[in-house]
Amino acid sequence: MQKKVWIGALGILFVAPIVLYFFFDPKQNEIFPRCLFLSLTGYECPGCGSQRAIHDLLHLRILSAFHENALFVILIPYIALGIYLEFFGGKKRFPKLLPLFFGKWAAVLILLLILLFWVGRNVVF
Amino acid sequence: MNQYFYIDSEGKQKGTFSPESLKNEAIKRETLVWTQGMEQWVRADEVPELQFIFSDAPGATYTQAVPPSAGATFTHGNAAVQPMPKTYMMESILATILPFILCGCIFSLLGIVGIVNASKVEQLYRSGAYAEAEEASRQAKLWAKVAMWIGIIGAILTILLIVGIIMFVGFAGIGTALSAA
Repeated sequence: MQKKVWIGALGILFVAPIVLYFFFDPKQNEIFPRCLFLSLTGYECPGCGSQRAIHDLLHLRILSAFHENALFVILIPYIALGIYLEFFGGKKRFPKLLPLFFGKWAAVLILLLILLFWVGRNVVF
Repeated sequence: MNQYFYIDSEGKQKGTFSPESLKNEAIKRETLVWTQGMEQWVRADEVPELQFIFSDAPGATYTQAVPPSAGATFTHGNAAVQPMPKTYMMESILATILPFILCGCIFSLLGIVGIVNASKVEQLYRSGAYAEAEEASRQAKLWAKVAMWIGIIGAILTILLIVGIIMFVGFAGIGTALSAA
Protein backbone atom coordinates (compact mmCIF):
# COMPACT_ATOMS: atom_id res chain seq x y z
CA MET A 1 0.00 0.00 0.00
CA GLN A 2 2.72 2.43 1.01
CA LYS A 3 4.76 1.42 -1.99
CA LYS A 4 1.83 2.24 -4.27
CA VAL A 5 1.55 5.71 -2.75
CA TRP A 6 5.26 6.32 -3.37
CA ILE A 7 5.08 5.12 -6.95
CA GLY A 8 2.02 7.30 -7.52
CA ALA A 9 3.72 10.36 -6.04
CA LEU A 10 6.84 9.80 -8.14
CA GLY A 11 4.69 9.26 -11.21
CA ILE A 12 2.92 12.58 -10.74
CA LEU A 13 6.27 14.25 -10.12
CA PHE A 14 7.54 12.99 -13.48
CA VAL A 15 4.40 13.22 -15.57
CA ALA A 16 3.12 16.62 -14.42
CA PRO A 17 6.15 18.58 -15.70
CA ILE A 18 6.17 16.61 -18.97
CA VAL A 19 2.51 17.47 -19.63
CA LEU A 20 3.16 21.07 -18.59
CA TYR A 21 6.23 21.51 -20.77
CA PHE A 22 4.60 19.77 -23.71
CA PHE A 23 1.53 22.00 -23.86
CA PHE A 24 3.03 25.32 -22.78
CA ASP A 25 5.92 26.99 -24.56
CA PRO A 26 8.20 28.71 -22.02
CA LYS A 27 9.08 31.25 -24.72
CA GLN A 28 5.52 32.56 -24.91
CA ASN A 29 4.16 32.05 -21.43
CA GLU A 30 4.86 33.98 -18.29
CA ILE A 31 3.94 31.13 -16.00
CA PHE A 32 7.37 29.51 -15.93
CA PRO A 33 9.90 30.49 -13.27
CA ARG A 34 12.73 32.70 -14.43
CA CYS A 35 16.39 32.07 -13.64
CA LEU A 36 17.40 33.97 -10.54
CA PHE A 37 21.02 34.25 -11.65
CA LEU A 38 20.02 35.76 -15.01
CA SER A 39 17.64 38.24 -13.40
CA LEU A 40 20.26 39.35 -10.88
CA THR A 41 23.40 39.51 -13.01
CA GLY A 42 22.22 39.67 -16.62
CA TYR A 43 24.44 36.69 -17.41
CA GLU A 44 23.08 33.28 -18.33
CA CYS A 45 23.72 30.42 -15.92
CA PRO A 46 24.56 26.89 -17.16
CA GLY A 47 20.90 25.94 -16.87
CA CYS A 48 19.29 28.84 -18.67
CA GLY A 49 17.27 27.67 -21.64
CA SER A 50 16.69 24.19 -20.27
CA GLN A 51 12.93 24.78 -19.92
CA ARG A 52 12.78 25.86 -23.58
CA ALA A 53 14.98 22.87 -24.44
CA ILE A 54 12.58 20.50 -22.65
CA HIS A 55 9.68 21.96 -24.66
CA ASP A 56 11.63 21.53 -27.89
CA LEU A 57 12.72 17.99 -27.05
CA LEU A 58 9.14 16.97 -26.24
CA HIS A 59 8.23 18.18 -29.72
CA LEU A 60 11.24 16.30 -31.15
CA ARG A 61 13.04 19.47 -32.26
CA ILE A 62 16.49 18.26 -31.27
CA LEU A 63 18.47 20.94 -33.09
CA SER A 64 16.40 23.74 -31.67
CA ALA A 65 16.78 22.25 -28.17
CA PHE A 66 20.54 22.07 -28.76
CA HIS A 67 20.48 25.74 -29.62
CA GLU A 68 18.60 26.68 -26.44
CA ASN A 69 20.92 24.79 -24.08
CA ALA A 70 23.50 22.43 -25.57
CA LEU A 71 24.81 21.30 -22.19
CA PHE A 72 21.34 20.19 -21.09
CA VAL A 73 20.81 18.10 -24.21
CA ILE A 74 24.25 16.50 -23.85
CA LEU A 75 23.82 15.71 -20.17
CA ILE A 76 20.41 14.00 -20.48
CA PRO A 77 21.88 10.75 -21.90
CA TYR A 78 24.65 10.95 -19.28
CA ILE A 79 22.13 11.22 -16.43
CA ALA A 80 20.07 8.40 -17.93
CA LEU A 81 23.22 6.26 -18.13
CA GLY A 82 23.99 6.91 -14.46
CA ILE A 83 20.48 6.02 -13.32
CA TYR A 84 20.48 2.87 -15.47
CA LEU A 85 23.88 1.73 -14.17
CA GLU A 86 23.04 2.33 -10.52
CA PHE A 87 19.37 1.44 -10.18
CA PHE A 88 18.44 -0.80 -13.11
CA GLY A 89 21.10 -3.48 -13.00
CA GLY A 90 23.53 -1.81 -15.38
CA LYS A 91 26.50 -2.05 -13.05
CA LYS A 92 26.26 -5.83 -12.96
CA ARG A 93 25.98 -6.13 -16.73
CA PHE A 94 28.67 -3.53 -17.50
CA PRO A 95 30.89 -3.45 -14.40
CA LYS A 96 33.52 -1.26 -16.07
CA LEU A 97 31.23 1.61 -17.06
CA LEU A 98 30.41 2.96 -13.61
CA PRO A 99 34.01 3.68 -12.52
CA LEU A 100 34.78 5.03 -16.00
CA PHE A 101 31.87 7.44 -16.36
CA PHE A 102 31.23 8.15 -12.68
CA GLY A 103 34.69 8.10 -11.14
CA LYS A 104 36.77 10.90 -9.69
CA TRP A 105 38.15 12.11 -13.00
CA ALA A 106 34.75 12.00 -14.64
CA ALA A 107 33.48 14.29 -11.88
CA VAL A 108 36.35 16.74 -12.46
CA LEU A 109 35.76 16.67 -16.24
CA ILE A 110 32.03 17.30 -15.85
CA LEU A 111 32.65 20.24 -13.52
CA LEU A 112 35.18 21.70 -15.98
CA LEU A 113 32.72 21.22 -18.84
CA ILE A 114 29.98 23.04 -16.91
CA LEU A 115 32.33 25.93 -16.03
CA LEU A 116 33.55 26.22 -19.64
CA PHE A 117 29.98 26.21 -20.90
CA TRP A 118 29.01 28.81 -18.30
CA VAL A 119 31.78 31.20 -19.34
CA GLY A 120 31.59 30.32 -23.02
CA ARG A 121 27.90 30.95 -23.54
CA ASN A 122 28.20 34.42 -22.04
CA VAL A 123 31.36 35.39 -23.92
CA VAL A 124 30.75 33.87 -27.35
CA PHE A 125 27.02 34.13 -27.90
CA MET B 1 49.31 -1.43 22.36
CA ASN B 2 46.80 -0.94 19.56
CA GLN B 3 44.18 1.80 19.31
CA TYR B 4 40.70 0.46 18.50
CA PHE B 5 37.58 1.73 16.76
CA TYR B 6 34.28 0.06 17.55
CA ILE B 7 30.71 0.22 16.21
CA ASP B 8 28.14 1.00 18.88
CA SER B 9 24.61 -0.36 19.16
CA GLU B 10 23.30 2.45 16.91
CA GLY B 11 25.75 1.59 14.17
CA LYS B 12 27.96 4.61 14.83
CA GLN B 13 31.69 4.32 14.73
CA LYS B 14 33.52 5.34 17.91
CA GLY B 15 37.21 5.67 18.50
CA THR B 16 39.98 5.51 19.10
CA PHE B 17 40.38 3.68 22.41
CA SER B 18 43.19 1.73 23.99
CA PRO B 19 42.17 -1.77 25.17
CA GLU B 20 42.12 -0.46 28.75
CA SER B 21 39.74 2.43 28.02
CA LEU B 22 37.67 0.18 25.76
CA LYS B 23 36.74 -1.74 28.90
CA ASN B 24 34.84 1.33 30.14
CA GLU B 25 32.78 1.54 26.95
CA ALA B 26 29.58 -0.45 26.43
CA ILE B 27 31.36 -3.25 24.61
CA LYS B 28 29.74 -6.65 24.19
CA ARG B 29 31.27 -9.86 22.93
CA GLU B 30 29.68 -9.38 19.51
CA THR B 31 30.57 -5.69 19.18
CA LEU B 32 32.59 -5.12 16.02
CA VAL B 33 36.02 -3.63 16.53
CA TRP B 34 38.82 -2.64 14.22
CA THR B 35 42.43 -1.59 14.58
CA GLN B 36 45.39 -0.87 12.30
CA GLY B 37 46.45 -3.98 10.39
CA MET B 38 43.09 -5.71 10.41
CA GLU B 39 41.51 -6.43 7.07
CA GLN B 40 37.96 -6.13 8.38
CA TRP B 41 35.86 -5.49 11.46
CA VAL B 42 35.84 -8.46 13.84
CA ARG B 43 33.91 -9.41 16.96
CA ALA B 44 35.54 -8.03 20.07
CA ASP B 45 35.73 -11.47 21.70
CA GLU B 46 37.84 -12.71 18.80
CA VAL B 47 40.64 -10.25 19.42
CA PRO B 48 43.22 -11.72 21.81
CA GLU B 49 44.21 -8.32 23.14
CA LEU B 50 40.59 -7.62 24.17
CA GLN B 51 39.85 -11.01 25.77
CA PHE B 52 40.36 -9.64 29.26
CA ILE B 53 37.31 -7.37 28.91
CA PHE B 54 35.01 -10.39 28.84
CA SER B 55 36.52 -12.46 31.62
CA ASP B 56 35.97 -11.92 35.31
CA ALA B 57 39.50 -12.98 36.06
CA PRO B 58 41.73 -10.73 33.97
CA GLY B 59 44.73 -12.45 32.57
CA ALA B 60 43.36 -15.98 32.91
CA THR B 61 41.98 -16.19 29.39
CA TYR B 62 44.53 -13.80 28.06
CA THR B 63 47.33 -16.25 28.63
CA GLN B 64 45.44 -19.02 26.82
CA ALA B 65 44.48 -16.77 23.94
CA VAL B 66 45.75 -17.60 20.50
CA PRO B 67 48.80 -15.63 19.48
CA PRO B 68 48.03 -12.49 17.44
CA SER B 69 49.71 -13.97 14.42
CA ALA B 70 47.03 -16.67 14.12
CA GLY B 71 45.29 -16.19 10.82
CA ALA B 72 41.96 -17.29 12.28
CA THR B 73 41.63 -14.01 14.17
CA PHE B 74 41.63 -11.85 11.10
CA THR B 75 39.77 -14.05 8.64
CA HIS B 76 36.47 -14.34 10.43
CA GLY B 77 33.66 -15.58 8.22
CA ASN B 78 34.23 -16.03 4.51
CA ALA B 79 35.04 -12.44 3.56
CA ALA B 80 38.81 -12.28 3.74
CA VAL B 81 39.06 -8.61 2.75
CA GLN B 82 36.75 -5.84 3.87
CA PRO B 83 34.86 -4.57 0.81
CA MET B 84 35.30 -0.95 -0.17
CA PRO B 85 32.51 1.21 1.23
CA LYS B 86 30.12 2.64 -1.36
CA THR B 87 31.55 5.88 -2.73
CA TYR B 88 28.24 7.55 -3.71
CA MET B 89 30.15 9.19 -6.58
CA MET B 90 27.33 8.60 -9.09
CA GLU B 91 24.72 10.11 -6.76
CA SER B 92 27.00 13.05 -5.97
CA ILE B 93 27.67 13.80 -9.65
CA LEU B 94 23.96 13.74 -10.44
CA ALA B 95 23.22 15.90 -7.39
CA THR B 96 25.77 18.38 -8.79
CA ILE B 97 24.75 18.56 -12.44
CA LEU B 98 20.99 18.55 -11.91
CA PRO B 99 20.89 21.93 -10.11
CA PHE B 100 23.34 23.32 -12.68
CA ILE B 101 21.13 22.50 -15.64
CA LEU B 102 17.97 23.58 -13.81
CA CYS B 103 19.11 27.10 -12.92
CA GLY B 104 19.79 26.29 -9.28
CA CYS B 105 23.57 26.65 -9.36
CA ILE B 106 23.82 27.34 -5.65
CA PHE B 107 22.56 23.85 -4.73
CA SER B 108 25.32 22.30 -6.81
CA LEU B 109 27.66 23.14 -3.94
CA LEU B 110 26.02 20.37 -1.88
CA GLY B 111 26.76 17.90 -4.65
CA ILE B 112 30.36 19.10 -4.89
CA VAL B 113 30.85 18.43 -1.16
CA GLY B 114 29.52 14.94 -1.92
CA ILE B 115 31.99 14.51 -4.80
CA VAL B 116 34.93 15.52 -2.60
CA ASN B 117 33.92 12.97 0.04
CA ALA B 118 33.23 10.31 -2.57
CA SER B 119 36.72 10.67 -4.02
CA LYS B 120 38.16 10.45 -0.51
CA VAL B 121 36.49 7.07 0.07
CA GLU B 122 38.54 5.25 -2.57
CA GLN B 123 41.76 7.04 -1.69
CA LEU B 124 41.45 6.20 2.03
CA TYR B 125 40.44 2.63 1.26
CA ARG B 126 43.47 2.09 -0.96
CA SER B 127 45.79 3.44 1.74
CA GLY B 128 44.28 1.01 4.24
CA ALA B 129 42.42 3.54 6.38
CA TYR B 130 39.18 1.54 6.36
CA ALA B 131 37.49 3.31 9.25
CA GLU B 132 38.15 6.73 7.70
CA ALA B 133 36.91 5.45 4.34
CA GLU B 134 33.66 4.37 6.03
CA GLU B 135 33.34 7.84 7.52
CA ALA B 136 33.89 9.56 4.14
CA SER B 137 31.30 7.22 2.61
CA ARG B 138 28.78 8.26 5.25
CA GLN B 139 29.50 11.93 4.58
CA ALA B 140 29.11 11.50 0.83
CA LYS B 141 25.79 9.70 1.38
CA LEU B 142 24.58 12.48 3.67
CA TRP B 143 25.34 15.29 1.20
CA ALA B 144 23.92 13.41 -1.77
CA LYS B 145 20.74 12.79 0.24
CA VAL B 146 20.42 16.43 1.33
CA ALA B 147 20.89 17.59 -2.26
CA MET B 148 18.35 15.05 -3.50
CA TRP B 149 15.65 16.10 -1.03
CA ILE B 150 16.23 19.79 -1.76
CA GLY B 151 15.87 18.93 -5.45
CA ILE B 152 12.62 17.01 -4.91
CA ILE B 153 11.13 19.72 -2.69
CA GLY B 154 12.22 22.36 -5.19
CA ALA B 155 10.57 20.46 -8.04
CA ILE B 156 7.31 20.07 -6.09
CA LEU B 157 7.29 23.77 -5.15
CA THR B 158 7.92 24.77 -8.78
CA ILE B 159 5.06 22.58 -10.02
CA LEU B 160 2.74 23.93 -7.32
CA LEU B 161 3.75 27.47 -8.24
CA ILE B 162 3.02 26.90 -11.94
CA VAL B 163 -0.29 25.16 -11.18
CA GLY B 164 -1.17 28.02 -8.82
CA ILE B 165 -0.47 30.61 -11.53
CA ILE B 166 -2.56 28.65 -14.02
CA MET B 167 -5.46 28.58 -11.53
CA PHE B 168 -4.97 32.28 -10.90
CA VAL B 169 -4.93 33.19 -14.56
CA GLY B 170 -8.00 31.04 -14.98
CA PHE B 171 -9.39 28.99 -17.82
CA ALA B 172 -9.56 31.94 -20.16
CA GLY B 173 -5.80 32.37 -19.71
CA ILE B 174 -5.19 28.73 -20.57
CA GLY B 175 -7.28 29.16 -23.69
CA THR B 176 -5.17 32.03 -24.97
CA ALA B 177 -1.97 30.26 -23.94
CA LEU B 178 -2.98 27.16 -25.87
CA SER B 179 -3.92 29.08 -28.97
CA ALA B 180 -0.63 30.98 -28.75
CA ALA B 181 1.45 27.80 -28.41
